[in-house]
Order: sequence, then C-alpha cells, then structure tokens
Amino acid sequence: MAMSQSLVLVTSRRWRRLDAAGIACLGFVLLMVLLILFGPQIAPRSALAFDPLHSLEGPSPAFPFGTDEFGRDIFSRIIAGTRPTLLVALAAAALGVLLGTSTGLVAGYVGGAVDEAVMRVMDTLMSFPGLILAMLVVVMLGPDAMNVVIAIALVFWPRSARLVRSVVLDLATREFIDAARSRGETRLFILARELLPNVLMIIVVDFSLRVTAAILLSASLAYLGIGVTPPTPAWGLMVRDGQQFIELAWWLPVFPSLAIAVVSIGTLLVGERLRRSVATPGGGRPR
Amino acid sequence: MIALTFILRRCVMLVLVLVAVSVLTFGIVNVLPGDVATAVLGDMASPEMVEAVRERMGLDRPLDARYLEWVGGVLHGDFGRSLQHGQPIAPMLLGRLGNSAILGLITLGIAAPLSIALGVLAALRPGHLLDRAISSFAVGAHAMPEYVIGLLAILCFSIWLPLLPGSSLMDPNENPLNRPEALVLPVGVLVIGMLAVISQVTRAGMIQALGSPYVRTATLKGLPRWKVVLKHALPNVLPPTVTEIGMYCGYVIGGLVVVETLFSYAGLGQMMTNAVSYRDIPTIQAGVLVVAAAYGIGNLLADVAALLLNPRLRG
Repeated sequence: MAMSQSLVLVTSRRWRRLDAAGIACLGFVLLMVLLILFGPQIAPRSALAFDPLHSLEGPSPAFPFGTDEFGRDIFSRIIAGTRPTLLVALAAAALGVLLGTSTGLVAGYVGGAVDEAVMRVMDTLMSFPGLILAMLVVVMLGPDAMNVVIAIALVFWPRSARLVRSVVLDLATREFIDAARSRGETRLFILARELLPNVLMIIVVDFSLRVTAAILLSASLAYLGIGVTPPTPAWGLMVRDGQQFIELAWWLPVFPSLAIAVVSIGTLLVGERLRRSVATPGGGRPR
Repeated sequence: MIALTFILRRCVMLVLVLVAVSVLTFGIVNVLPGDVATAVLGDMASPEMVEAVRERMGLDRPLDARYLEWVGGVLHGDFGRSLQHGQPIAPMLLGRLGNSAILGLITLGIAAPLSIALGVLAALRPGHLLDRAISSFAVGAHAMPEYVIGLLAILCFSIWLPLLPGSSLMDPNENPLNRPEALVLPVGVLVIGMLAVISQVTRAGMIQALGSPYVRTATLKGLPRWKVVLKHALPNVLPPTVTEIGMYCGYVIGGLVVVETLFSYAGLGQMMTNAVSYRDIPTIQAGVLVVAAAYGIGNLLADVAALLLNPRLRG
C-alpha cells in the first residue's frame, strides 16, 4: 500500500503539472533505459569489430564521433557502452542503498549495543576515501563488473545507513510506533510495515543522488583500469585507452568524456528535481 | 579549556580510527580471495607452487600474528617489500607522499579562500545572474570526473594553445616545486573540483546567516554592507565550511589519484595505480593505509580549525 501511495504522490501531485524541465527529465530517463536495454542493437555499427581501413578517422557523416586506432566507430561504442557504464552504477547504487537502509532501520530502531557496534563498523568504512576503498576491494576480488558493484555498494553502505538511521531515530519516538507496540506487533512488523514506508521517499531520493556518485566512481575506476577489461566499451576505459592519442586524434578520449559528463549531469539534475518535489510540503515528506 | 579537551578527545578518536582502518585494510587484502602468492605467480600456477610461495612468504601463519607483525613494521617505518621492484616500500612511499602533499596543499591553499569568496559573492544576491552562473558552474564541475575536466584542459592549454606541459612526468627525485609550470594544470583541475562543493556550502551558510536577526540588527545599526557581511555574518559561516572542507579532503585524495594518473605526476596516487596494474599488493596495502591516515589527520585538523574559528568557543 505504501509503495502505491508514494507512486501516486510522484505521479499525480507534482508531476501532473509537468513543465518543460519535467518532460526533459522523463525523456532523459527513458532514453537511458532504452540505451541500456537495446544499446548494441541501436548502434549503427559493431562496437567490437575491427576495421583497419578506417582507423583513426576524424568525425564525419559516416563516423559522427570518428574512429579509434582499430577502426571501431566511437559513436557506436559509446551507445553500446551505455550498458556496461550505467548498469554497474545503477546496480551499485541500488545494492548500497539496500544495505544501508536495512542496516539503518535495524540500528536506529533496535538501538543499544547493536546500534553502537553496527555504527562503529560503518564509521570504519567511512574513514576511507571512497575511491581508495573501492579500488582496494576490486583489486582483491578481481576485474569483474559484479565486483565493481560490490565495491561501490560498500562505499555507499555506511552513508546510506547513517541517513536512514537518523530518520528512524526520530520516527521511533512518534505515537504511531507506540501504538503499534501496544497493539503487540512484532519488531519485524514494525520495521517493515510501520517504519519502512515512512523512509521510502527518502530512500528513493538517496538512491537517485547515489546513482550520479556511482557513475562518477565507476567511471573513475574504469579510467584507472580497475574492474573492466578491454574490449568492453565502458566509457571510462575508452577515455583511458584513447588518452595516448590525444595529440593525434582528440576525438578518441573527448567523446567518451563528454558522454560521461552529459549522463552524470543529467542524472544529477533528475535527482535534484526528485529531491525538490519530495521536500516541498505535500510532496510526500514522512509524517 | 574546552578547546584543549576537545582536541585531546579528537586525537584519541584518530588513533582508534587508524587502528580500525589498519585492521580493515589488512582484512580486505588477506581475507578476500586472491592473495599475494597468487599475485606473484599469476593465475596459471599449480596449487602446490602457490602453497610453497605462501609458506616462504609466511602467508600460512595465523592472521593475527601476521597483522601484528605488519602493524609493528609500519610503526617502525617498515612497510614491507614491493613485489614489482623487490625493494623496501617505505623510501619510495615517503617521496611520493611528499609530492602528493605538495599538490594537495597548493590546491587547498588556492581553492579554500577562492571558493569561500565565490560562495559569499553568490549568497549576496541569491537568484541573481552571478549566483546562477556560480551555481551552474558548481553543478557542472561537481558532476564531472576529474579526468574529463583534465583532458579538456590538456586539449585547450597544451595542445591547441601550447602554453603548458600536458604531462607532469619528471624524475622521481626532482622536487616538483622546481617545475611550477608542470603543476599548473593538475592543480587547476583539482581546484575546480573543490570549488564546486565548497562554494555551494558557503553559499548556503551565508544565505542563512544573512537572514538572521543579528545581521538585521547590524544592518539597522547603520553598518556598511561589507562590514555586516565580513565582520558579522562570515565568522559564523566559516566553522561549518571548514568542517566541510575537512570531509571533502577525502574526495580531494580520490581526485589526486585520478589527476596524478592523468598527468603522470609522481605522487602516491600514481604509485598506487601503477601497483594495481602489477598486482603489487604490499605496495597497494601500504598506500591505502597512508592515504586513510592522511584523510583522518585532515579531518582532525579541519575540526580543530573549525573550533578555533568559532567565535563562541574562543578565549
């Protein structure tokens, strides 16, 4: 019920008055979903096949973003690379927020020694700079998309847990929790049916902002050569491999760089809009 | 007095954090699959060979004994041997740390005052053209990885307009301060990244301060605008901003790793990415520990500075 309620809040109240910016946000999200699902099919050329006759050609009508040293079409590689670039970020943000939410809910509601112990572990995770922790974990687990997801989720976990816990600490003192407790509801019921619905919108917003951070983190890891291996057309890796040609063929590193910039700014703006629509009165702030 | 107990408590906390960080670093390296022995031998080694190397390197001993030995060594300035060079890690680490510190401190020295100034300027007339320009710039810079900004900078200032070197490659023993032209682009990229965050934090704090009763009183007293802003509002905005700068130094460290790799600058970050491509685990382990320690110390210094800047707790 809570889920449908929040969905109604997003769709009817705020989004009924869809302005140009709102349509742009929706269009952006739809385009990204489309590219993730069907990127390799949409791309005009193969992202992997070599074409030595056309190596290092500049942007032209046939190759809008030019070709790389193996003659691969950079435009097609960027389109096909949406999936390895964004799916990792989305999965990492989702896993991190999931871990953080469950930890924050339990720590905040149960309190006491459990809270203390869990939050000290979270503090330890947070005393590493994000990129460094992710780097160490991926190096030890090995280069694989799933390991990058785990590493980035590990970076987000404590941050999400703190956020959810701070909200739960406040909610736990409200009357409706007392009421549930005096009705004799179990802890699990209170956590899942009373507290979770009330932090749901906060989690959604947190997730949308984490996606941007995850795109930046995974793109930085890929740029450092950690977690993805050629010939995957992940954008960060394309920048890394193209960088050596910058004097000869600027389009090699520049177009994938721009793709990262456009997508991360896009997701940031979508997240900001979501945050504002939730933060305005009547927009579904937890009561 | 309050300040002194606070600093003492904060120092004790730092020690605890460092212990926790060393345990976690050691744990990630030694508990997760893929250990030093397989890194030395590669994936093709037979289990017997891996076992032999593990025994020779002492990896078959219990974890707690190895942890204590590692930490004991670190406390005596011994970080073990690099798998890539076969030499002790500590001397190289020290030199690299110095180079990274130069880059980081110059960045901080430029970015902190500049971003506070920009934040104050933006807050003076919220929603005005200048504010919107600064804020849009901040959003854009915040959402771009450092290497994207860096690549565009190399393209503009070193290839299309050959003004500055696009690479900061130099002799590992050379002092980067002797080659200031090689520092301009890396520092510029890091400064832009930092401006994005800190200017927005200052702006938010300043807007709040300018709307408060004590600022209205100061204005009604007839004080000139600049005096109200700089003498009355700013001192209250600075402490939270400085704390934020301290937390942000984690991103600066991450940014350092990327920027050093991009510009081939001989710092700690570049040492670590190099070590990653050789799976030189002892070097990575040492680098992570030093970086986390630097992060903790940076946070501590920022907290102390925020305390000293807080007019309510001074004296």
